[in-house]
Amino acid sequence: MIATLLESLDPLVVELIEALFETLYMVFFSTLFSLILGFGITIALITTAPHGLRPNPRVYAALDVSVNLLRSFPFMILMIALIPFTRLVAGVAIGSTAAIVPLTIAAAPFVGRILEGSLLEVDRGVVEAARACGAGDTQIIFRVMLKEAMPSIILNIAILAITLLGYSAMAGAIGGGGLGALAYNYGYLRFRTDVMLYSVGILILLVHLIQTGGNFLYNRLR
Amino acid sequence: MIHIHDLEKSYADTPVLFHISCHIRAGEIFGIVGHSGAGKSTLLRCLNGLEGYQGGSITVMGREVQELDEEGLKQLRREMGMIFQNFNLMQRKNVFGNVAFPLEIWKTPKEKIRTRVLELLELVGLADRAQDRIQNLSGGQKQRVGVARALALNPKILLCDEATSALDPQTTLSILELLQDINERLGLTIVMVTHEMRVVKRICHRLLFLEHGRTVCQGATDDLFLAPKQDLKRFVGDDYTLSPTGTNIRLMFPRELAQQSIITHMARELNLDFSIVGGRLDRYRNDVLGFLIINVDDRRLESVLNYLQEKNLFWEVLDDDRHLA
Ligand SMILES: Nc1ncnc2c1ncn2[C@@H]1O[C@H](COP(=O)(O)OP(=O)(O)OP(=O)(O)O)[C@@H](O)[C@H]1O
Ligand SMILES: [Mg+2]
Repeated sequence: MIATLLESLDPLVVELIEALFETLYMVFFSTLFSLILGFGITIALITTAPHGLRPNPRVYAALDVSVNLLRSFPFMILMIALIPFTRLVAGVAIGSTAAIVPLTIAAAPFVGRILEGSLLEVDRGVVEAARACGAGDTQIIFRVMLKEAMPSIILNIAILAITLLGYSAMAGAIGGGGLGALAYNYGYLRFRTDVMLYSVGILILLVHLIQTGGNFLYNRLR
Repeated sequence: MIHIHDLEKSYADTPVLFHISCHIRAGEIFGIVGHSGAGKSTLLRCLNGLEGYQGGSITVMGREVQELDEEGLKQLRREMGMIFQNFNLMQRKNVFGNVAFPLEIWKTPKEKIRTRVLELLELVGLADRAQDRIQNLSGGQKQRVGVARALALNPKILLCDEATSALDPQTTLSILELLQDINERLGLTIVMVTHEMRVVKRICHRLLFLEHGRTVCQGATDDLFLAPKQDLKRFVGDDYTLSPTGTNIRLMFPRELAQQSIITHMARELNLDFSIVGGRLDRYRNDVLGFLIINVDDRRLESVLNYLQEKNLFWEVLDDDRHLA
């Protein structure tokens, strides 16, 4: 039924819908994977920070510099530099699935930083109270800091997803597909301004939806 | 219960505690008193290993705190509850969740957690607030949650860091009564850090005064306040403008004598006039004790002192060595 419905539609509309799904696919998985990777970085950062759970100035300084270094790479350059690695991980170097690899790698240090910020906001007194009950480091990170910081983490995830939406449009330009690629191919290369406007319109809508969803959850959790 | 011997502690190169020694007995309420920055919190945090120390020793229930490994420290903290000036409750858990937290950390079965938390909330008078959010509680109620959480694991010692300093006098009193009640009913040893004299006088059995990381004095509360040594007087700002003529005598009223009308008796018996320079009656735990400074004409000094001697009163001539008592 869906197939017949799609056939009856303008082929351009079909392309728009496909592009939308490609975009959502890239954003969803790169957000997910970069959250996992980035959270690892966050834990390492807050554990070794000067007032962290296990201060270790050397490890912290090394992490700090690497994170800054990775974040200062322009995304286009990083994406191209990562092509061999992408082929290794995803099996292909082109397409939406392949795009998830550089998106994740580019976003992970960013996630590391913003989640570090969220966890640092947690009242040190609350952490100390947990420590005084006999809680260990892992319990403190997961049951206290993560729990208390959740509203702020949610807001940061919204920021992350929106950033990745922007990056995914760039990744689209070199074969990742998605709305960015559509806008570029039709709007720029074939002078179909209407398709470009639709793509951009959908992107605007997505940004708005993500932010509104984030704010809603934030207010619910706070 | 807790033995502190020649304790020394510094942050980086800044020493903050110098040669502290004291003994906290099982079942007592022990006060650590001092002005801001004296090192009270630091000393308290050394007791449950939240801070390390560089010299001396602290043994809590027979264990040298510094020598405990990770697991040993956790076990020790399990036996020592702690409450804080800012309550330090988790904002994203409700009252129940906060009190349940230590039990969850120690992997208590769900059913047991439930009964224990409700029992604790009953004890602190918050039985009907279990599902409330922390933000919706008053300061006093928050501290009650703090107390319930600290008692969750049945500790033998309760550490209080300025537990009432963020509360108004009325609420302070109710929290102190709660602590006193717990101390008496559960036999809990309480170590209380505070800078408020009224708190100290109200519930502490014995005290340690700290100033700039050094011991000013220590001992039983009523002894310290009834016959304060020079440094304690300076410390509590207990300086009266003494009359320059005549002799100033400070009369101390210990427990047994507080209720008797000694002053009027003396005036009548000696047919004596004197002026009252200053004085104070305070509630020390469950007693009213105090002192009075009277100014006596030098010519009558002898008979007054004889009278005081005879009645076995505690007294002290306050002026410098112009007058030899
Ligand atoms: N983590 C720390 N690092 C360095 N110095 C510290 C640290 N904590 C406390 N100090 C210093 O140690 C001294 C004692 O501090 P402490 O907090 O024990 O005082 P306090 O008696 O509890 O004061 P207050 O009544 O203000 O709480 C102060 O000079 C303080 O600046
Ligand atoms: Mg303090």
